[in-house]
Amino acid sequence: MNVISAIKAYIVKMTSESEPGMKILLMDKETTSVISMVYGQSEIQQKEVFLLERIDSPNFANSTGLRYLKCLVFVRPTQQNITALCNELRNPKYGAYYIYFSNIIAKADIKILAEHDEHEVVKEVQELYMDYLAVNPHLFSIGLSTCFLNLNWNPSALQRTVQGIISVLLSLKKCPVIRYQANSNVCKDLGTRIDEIISKESSLFAFSQSNNSLLLILDRRDDPITPLLNQWTYQAMVHELLTINNNRVNLSDINGIPKELSEVVLSVEQDTFYAKNIFMNYGEIGTNIKELMDQFQAKAKSHQKIESIADMKSFVESYPQFKKLSGNVTKHVTVVGELNTMVNKFNLLDMSEVEQELASQNNDHYSHLQSVKKLLNNEKIRDIDATKLVMLYALRYQNHNNNDLTGLIDLLKRRGITARFLKNIVNIIEYAGSHARQSDLFNVENAVKITKRFIKGLSGVDNVYTQHKPLLHETLEDLVKGRLRDHLYPYLGGHGSGRQQDIIVFIVGGATYEESLTVHSINRNNPNFNILLGGTTVHNSASFLQEVDQATKNVPRKHTRTIRNIQFD
Amino acid sequence: MAEANLIQEGFLCPICHKDLRSANNLITHFQDIHSEEKDILSSIKDIYGKVKKKILTVDDQDLEHFKNEISLQKEKYYLEYSEPQDPGPTISHTEYFKSIRRDRLDHKTAETNKLIIRLDRLLRVFAADRKQHEQELVAWLDGSTVTRCPSCASSFNITRRQHHCRLCGSIMCTSCSYFLPYEMAQTIVTPVNNGSCKEQQTSKESDSLRICYHCLDMLESRRRVQIEQVLQPIICQLYSHLQKMKSQVQGAVDMYYKIYNSLKSGETTYLLQDLQSLRNSIADKAQMIDTISKKIASVPVDPETPKAAILQNSIRKATSSFIKEELITLPPPPTPQDLEKIKNERLAKVTDDDIPISNISIKKVMVTTGWSPANVTNEATVTEEADPLLEQMNIVRSYIKQARDAQRFEEVGSLQENLNMLKEMYKKQLVKDKNT
Ligand SMILES: [Zn+2]
Ligand SMILES: [Zn+2]
Ligand SMILES: [Zn+2]
Repeated sequence: MNVISAIKAYIVKMTSESEPGMKILLMDKETTSVISMVYGQSEIQQKEVFLLERIDSPNFANSTGLRYLKCLVFVRPTQQNITALCNELRNPKYGAYYIYFSNIIAKADIKILAEHDEHEVVKEVQELYMDYLAVNPHLFSIGLSTCFLNLNWNPSALQRTVQGIISVLLSLKKCPVIRYQANSNVCKDLGTRIDEIISKESSLFAFSQSNNSLLLILDRRDDPITPLLNQWTYQAMVHELLTINNNRVNLSDINGIPKELSEVVLSVEQDTFYAKNIFMNYGEIGTNIKELMDQFQAKAKSHQKIESIADMKSFVESYPQFKKLSGNVTKHVTVVGELNTMVNKFNLLDMSEVEQELASQNNDHYSHLQSVKKLLNNEKIRDIDATKLVMLYALRYQNHNNNDLTGLIDLLKRRGITARFLKNIVNIIEYAGSHARQSDLFNVENAVKITKRFIKGLSGVDNVYTQHKPLLHETLEDLVKGRLRDHLYPYLGGHGSGRQQDIIVFIVGGATYEESLTVHSINRNNPNFNILLGGTTVHNSASFLQEVDQATKNVPRKHTRTIRNIQFD
Repeated sequence: MAEANLIQEGFLCPICHKDLRSANNLITHFQDIHSEEKDILSSIKDIYGKVKKKILTVDDQDLEHFKNEISLQKEKYYLEYSEPQDPGPTISHTEYFKSIRRDRLDHKTAETNKLIIRLDRLLRVFAADRKQHEQELVAWLDGSTVTRCPSCASSFNITRRQHHCRLCGSIMCTSCSYFLPYEMAQTIVTPVNNGSCKEQQTSKESDSLRICYHCLDMLESRRRVQIEQVLQPIICQLYSHLQKMKSQVQGAVDMYYKIYNSLKSGETTYLLQDLQSLRNSIADKAQMIDTISKKIASVPVDPETPKAAILQNSIRKATSSFIKEELITLPPPPTPQDLEKIKNERLAKVTDDDIPISNISIKKVMVTTGWSPANVTNEATVTEEADPLLEQMNIVRSYIKQARDAQRFEEVGSLQENLNMLKEMYKKQLVKDKNT
């Protein structure tokens, strides 16, 4: 179960089936993302695709044609796309059309298309199933930044998610049994809809090993902690601090950034250094880069000192040959350099220490409260980080007798934090307070003493904390040990049992890269199991706060009336 | 024969399409004939030079290795390379699509064909009493009850009179009539292979045919198909030439690696010179490919179609990265000293007594690529009393030489295998003769 291979296999099929010749690839916004997650421009050029065009661009209808080009069409089966294609066929810009839909398409739509093909330019019409974004080999996303409306499914997001998951299942040839988180309506709704389609399209889902897979549907609200934490493994950290969007990181805001680095692509497929370091701790990456540079120096018989990230940067500048040979590594020097700057500037190490204590240490209300207060008085801490810290406190000690949320909010107000930020504290409780969760999120038994890990090698990059384990870790451990309780995670329709080894876990409300690492390590430790993680999106804390804000918009306050010092206008 | 064809395909001048039969001839031809293209030539040479340098410098080689190694021993958590896998299911709607389309288009095709047949007949009618003949061929609609032009709804009167479409007989006014010049009508009926018939807006009634716009539409779309079938823009020719060259060079590169690995493992099937001559011919082809792609990039672009410019540059870019990634990265041939060392090491391992010999049959040379050696003249063979095995070995040797000269290394490989078997048999025979 590797979603990147699944998508690549389809793309190879698509590009090789059409006859040889110069090609243009016509896509929509979403299918463009699907392809750009796994293929770079030069790779797609080797498949004779020399031009890309967007069917949903306002210029498309009026753009000029080149009759000697063959047109590969890869679009979602939406009404807008069908209409645009009909118009295109009536007045074709290109010589021949090979049409591929990214999901199940209705016969009626095929008929309409055929009726418009008066010039007989269409050579091929097919449906294949790649209606999702393959992020890592075992991580996919539907690409929906928000999916809730009034704490329930936004109907169009539900529809899109059903389509996305159906295409994941088909592309991997899985016809799973479905389990869902018992207390969550959104999970049950999603499961039911998927089940309906599997029954309706039973001939499509007639795979031989059908009984051996499981789709487990979870609700983000059962674990609102994980997306709020600072991250220290590479991919998660880059997403948290710099934001990864379709494998791309925008660095243009950095002072003096060279033009070729203003947007960098971080792709596990095209960048081996990234693939190797994706789950490494931030400190180790610096060490790995240094190791590469040392190897290079040995070849070049040079002896430049490399003891800090600044040293690395000057090394790259003084050795253009190194830059040429390992362009990717140069890119990572820049990225790690920027992470390093932010960690120091915003005191993220201190931040993270308190976050980790709150998230995963024994109940010790008094000392936790003191740590939070101390940080709230630290001027280097960003307002958003201060707010997140109070949110963590609010979640952890929501029902504690000595809860001093009011005092902490007053402290935030004294810092001059705006109402927009303060609102997040109310939102998170309404969204995922204790009333919304079925699991014991702050399991004291599992709490371990904080240990500081020292990463040697580079000055200024040490003290990396990896204490917290997402709730998903426990859920999956239970699952692979056959201990996941039926009344908390029932089978859809009540039926089904047995132990499935291919497991697709889907989180409504978004997964995180930290959870991706969890899945990866559980896969490693349990070679008999093969777990794939998916989410409506892949969150960092900023996108998570936005989603929570959307989800609770216009929802009357039920569980936060006691928080009197935050009032909405 | 086959050999000549192959070369002919490979070395057409991309500018004047003259067949030059070899890369060297082509370069000379470029210098002599297309001197304005000299800058292109010099940059090919530049690349060629770089190719050589890259392959020859040990230091660069070293660093390339370093790049590939990137040997980080930390293996705690990293993503594995995604192995290629079979694609998931697909459903083809092509048949259904075509059946719907066929139903609709059959009607239109029949209509158009009918028009073309009528047009053909009308063109055979002589100018004298044309109108009457026209009406015999196509029944004209009775206009007595028609008061308005069906297509523009203007009412008919003395100044706006009724007219009939000569092809379908329908009624229209003058402004809704189109005059199809006979000359153009002729090309629609009997398409000649130039397709470049110019629009003639200056059509007078005398040398043209009055038709309605509906009929014109049908004729126009037929004519467009005809023109496209005939016209193949220059870029298409260049591109298919480029693709042909690329697949040829790909074959040569695969062969290069095969010979390289064979030599490196101490086999004696191929010679070091094979690798060198193949490398030269790959470099020649790399130049050709580079030239063609530059030519593609410089095909003049109609300002109306800016897309063409992007396309052409994109092809050029893709080609140069193909050259960089596939052709410049070839490992350099091993030095003769290296080879000697490898051979000795191998010899030390192989012991003489375990030669497998039961029932050796001489494998026929499989001629799969259209190449076969010319007949060997008898001068080369030994006298009739000589051992038939020796004779055969000589023949095979001369085949190998021919194959090598023609750079047919597949054949060199299988012939060499034959020769080795013959040698074994001969050796056995000698032993047997001695014993008896
Ligand atoms: Zn020429
Ligand atoms: Zn009219
Ligand atoms: Zn007519």
